[in-house]
Amino acid sequence: MKLTRSWLENYIDIPFSTDELCHHLTMAGLEVDEVLPISKDYIIDIDLTPNRSDCLSVKGIARELSCINKQYKYKLDEKSKGINPTCEQIDFKFNIIEKNICPSYGFMYLKNLKPSCVTPKYIVKRLNDIGINLVHPLVDILNYIMIDIGQPMHAYDADKVKGEITVRFAKKNESFEALDGNKYKLSEDNIVVADSSGIISLAGIIGSNNCSVSEATKNIIIESAFFEPNAIANKARKLKLQTESSQRFERGVDYNLPKKALIELQCIILENKICDFSNFHFLDYKNLLPKQKEVKIEFDKIRKVIGIDLKDENIEKLLLSLGCDYNKKTHTVINPSYRFDLSIHADYIEEIARIYGYDNIPVVSERINIKPSKPYQPFHIINTIKKYLYDNGYSECINYSFVNNDFLENFDWKNEEFNEHHKITNYMSVEQNKLRSNLASSLIKNIEFNNNMNSENSYRFYEISNVFGEKVEQILTCVVSGDKEDENWASKKQKFDKYDMTTIVEDLSKSFGVNKSKLNYVIKDIFYNKKSYIVLTLSISELIKEKQGIQEEKFTNYSKLPYIRRDLSFLIDVTVRYKSILKLIEETNVHSLKKILLFDLYVGKNIPIDLKSLGMGFIFQDEIKTLTHEEADKHIEKILRALNDKFKIELRK
Amino acid sequence: MSGDNLKKDLKKILEEASKSIKDINSISDLEKSRIQFLGKKSLLISLMKSLSDLTKEEKSIAGKDLNNAKTEINNLLADKKISLSKVDNVKKDDFDLSMPGKASSVGSVHPISKTMDCAIQIFESLKFECVEGPEIEDEFHNFTALNIPDSHPARAMHDTFYLENNLLLRTHTSSVQVRTMSENTTPIRIIAPGKVYRKDSDITHTPMFHQIEGLYVDKDVSFSNLKSIINIFLKSFFEQDDLKIRFRPSYFPFTEPSAEVDIEYIDSKGNKSWLEILGCGMVHPNVLDMANIDSSIYSGYAFGLGVERLAMLKLGITDLRLFYENDLRFLKQFQRI
Repeated sequence: MKLTRSWLENYIDIPFSTDELCHHLTMAGLEVDEVLPISKDYIIDIDLTPNRSDCLSVKGIARELSCINKQYKYKLDEKSKGINPTCEQIDFKFNIIEKNICPSYGFMYLKNLKPSCVTPKYIVKRLNDIGINLVHPLVDILNYIMIDIGQPMHAYDADKVKGEITVRFAKKNESFEALDGNKYKLSEDNIVVADSSGIISLAGIIGSNNCSVSEATKNIIIESAFFEPNAIANKARKLKLQTESSQRFERGVDYNLPKKALIELQCIILENKICDFSNFHFLDYKNLLPKQKEVKIEFDKIRKVIGIDLKDENIEKLLLSLGCDYNKKTHTVINPSYRFDLSIHADYIEEIARIYGYDNIPVVSERINIKPSKPYQPFHIINTIKKYLYDNGYSECINYSFVNNDFLENFDWKNEEFNEHHKITNYMSVEQNKLRSNLASSLIKNIEFNNNMNSENSYRFYEISNVFGEKVEQILTCVVSGDKEDENWASKKQKFDKYDMTTIVEDLSKSFGVNKSKLNYVIKDIFYNKKSYIVLTLSISELIKEKQGIQEEKFTNYSKLPYIRRDLSFLIDVTVRYKSILKLIEETNVHSLKKILLFDLYVGKNIPIDLKSLGMGFIFQDEIKTLTHEEADKHIEKILRALNDKFKIELRK
Repeated sequence: MSGDNLKKDLKKILEEASKSIKDINSISDLEKSRIQFLGKKSLLISLMKSLSDLTKEEKSIAGKDLNNAKTEINNLLADKKISLSKVDNVKKDDFDLSMPGKASSVGSVHPISKTMDCAIQIFESLKFECVEGPEIEDEFHNFTALNIPDSHPARAMHDTFYLENNLLLRTHTSSVQVRTMSENTTPIRIIAPGKVYRKDSDITHTPMFHQIEGLYVDKDVSFSNLKSIINIFLKSFFEQDDLKIRFRPSYFPFTEPSAEVDIEYIDSKGNKSWLEILGCGMVHPNVLDMANIDSSIYSGYAFGLGVERLAMLKLGITDLRLFYENDLRFLKQFQRI
């Protein structure tokens, strides 16, 4: 809502500088967005909240200022009666079918509009100042009155309207061409004003092209009505057609305004000799007008909720200053007709706090009972992971949850094909038309982006986020590419491999005391745009669940007797999994075997292609007596035999 | 041999030794010098051997002089040895303290999660408990339960991303309020951090961003309490005890009274301005009623923080879009933990 200081001064005295004025407005909840000095004046742009429809006019803002600070003295200038008409009414019939939605419909005729008539100078100036384009002298006057007092009106070219004028719902598939030149397809909940040949305006929103006022217009029908806010709300937005008028009606226009607006119009027309005008006439259904609401004031509740010590009588004073009707005996208050936002007790608590001044409300800490508590576990777990990854050179990324149709998106986090994405029905761009089911694709693209911009040759990225696959799951994904370490003088360049990812899983498993076998994770190579990436994904949702069942860590005693180590190097079928070797060794039941070390893995040159070479160290230790070398030999033989029987291994020398 | 002669000889020997030792610059030469002056065949030792020719009295004086001379030469040798070893004898130290270390393995934490953690820690210290809610929401929790009916003009404030089956991406973390209130008993004192989505994309808006919702419901909760908690949080977060904070009336359908909070920002030229930092208010009685909490007995405050905004102010980031580009030149600036 834009206005000028001088326009405001039409209604109130302003014994303050413009800076002070703006501060008062802002602190009253009418936030000043911008102040622009112009010659001898200031343009003030106010960012209004949707509840304050009463301030969508210069007069409304003046009224508000006079409520919050008595020094803004209100200049009363109420005209309550129409002035003598200069012409007769034209013979039109009106039929308000939807009386609930339009319980007050006023109209007036203008005749003999002179082609030479111009918009009054002061109106031109004021509209120009606040950036409203001039259209037609009469339309300009209507726009001016709307900004001035808040009532939107509409002008129809009377010579183009045919037959009876009705206010009704749109028919199925009815369409209409608006003033803006666009065609709109309406739905049955759109309220329209129509004549016998069709829609002449979308009620309270915009007029139609075929009945609009033009240079050739001679006679005019003026409509000044009240439309029920809920019937207008959302309609303009759904049609992507928001107007100054719709903005006001959907938030609520004082039902006493249509008449005042017509009187105002008569005055301006007369003063400036624009044309002849008739009496105005109203179709009123008073019992269908919005009811003013009576609310009982609870003084203690007001004091308690705001946290102030304000006497009953001072609260009463504040209520009266708002323009409310207040009954001292029953302690009930009735909202002014222009305050649609005052209907329940909490609304009045807010008003009292606002007028009292938020700045004046004391700062007092609550008293709370302190209970034992611990940090929120999921975040604690995530922070532990983040710290670990930080220590290992990983950079955290955050990407949008929306993705496009790239083939990398067609997988879930376990790297299985997935096509059942949540689709965004009203996406902004095709690039963001569905919710991602994995994080790898985002991170791979982050690396690609960086590769084009930066000189790095080692990328270690990760992200922790929800993904939207078959179910919503929180996951960690690490994507690495290129060299294992940043280029440095001390170590030879080494590429990442998948076992680097295994290390992460094992380290995290230790940090959380959750067995690696209980973790749900996937390690994969992904090739994309001729580059190779290694990806680790781990379900954090499941880790959190597993972690809940884990007991606190406890000390266990250990043997202090000497240990003996025996090493075995052997060739074994390349497809034998380490897990099954461990299982077999466990089944040999050698109790004094305390630890197994894998110190070598080799495939390649000098070894048959279907074999791999493993080097394993076995550490034996007894709990009660010192182990002899003979016993250790016996144990290792037993293990060797078992390996031989099952896997046909070949010992290396 | 007379005592005087002996004294003269000793003086000569000492002068010679002193001069010779002074010029030595290697340990091996030092050893040669020791043999020369104190060895079996040295002049000093032969003088010692000739003492037997003297009287008992003379012997004792001469013996003292000889021993003194021997001690003096030994001292000269020892001193020289120390000074030589300092210069010459230890292998040169090639460790260079100014060299870069081996491969660095420090990563970085995204400024958004860093900011979020910082805020969460402050609220946990103020005894708020963390909860989380779903990002995919229904209209009830995102709007209706928050006193935003379908026709409400406030829905125009949220440009919502809709999914199929009447689902949507939550437009604010306030959607967690009703879930929490319905599932827990009073008092309720929670924060709910997370991602939120709005159909908006320009220099100052991204379609996804982060919020932290706070909610406290109990008997006797007041707007004064809200002012206090926001003051404590902002001063802790910006680590500035004299931070200027103002509350001004605003409108949210789910709070009443509602407020927007500004902090005073002073730019590099010393210009002061107010910056909007968060929205808050007293929980609207309709919201409490919807969650089956008796609004005639209980009251509450709620607030919503924009994490990106906090991060930008604290870290001096000027372009919102940098957060989601994940450029290493950006990410690597946040290596502190």
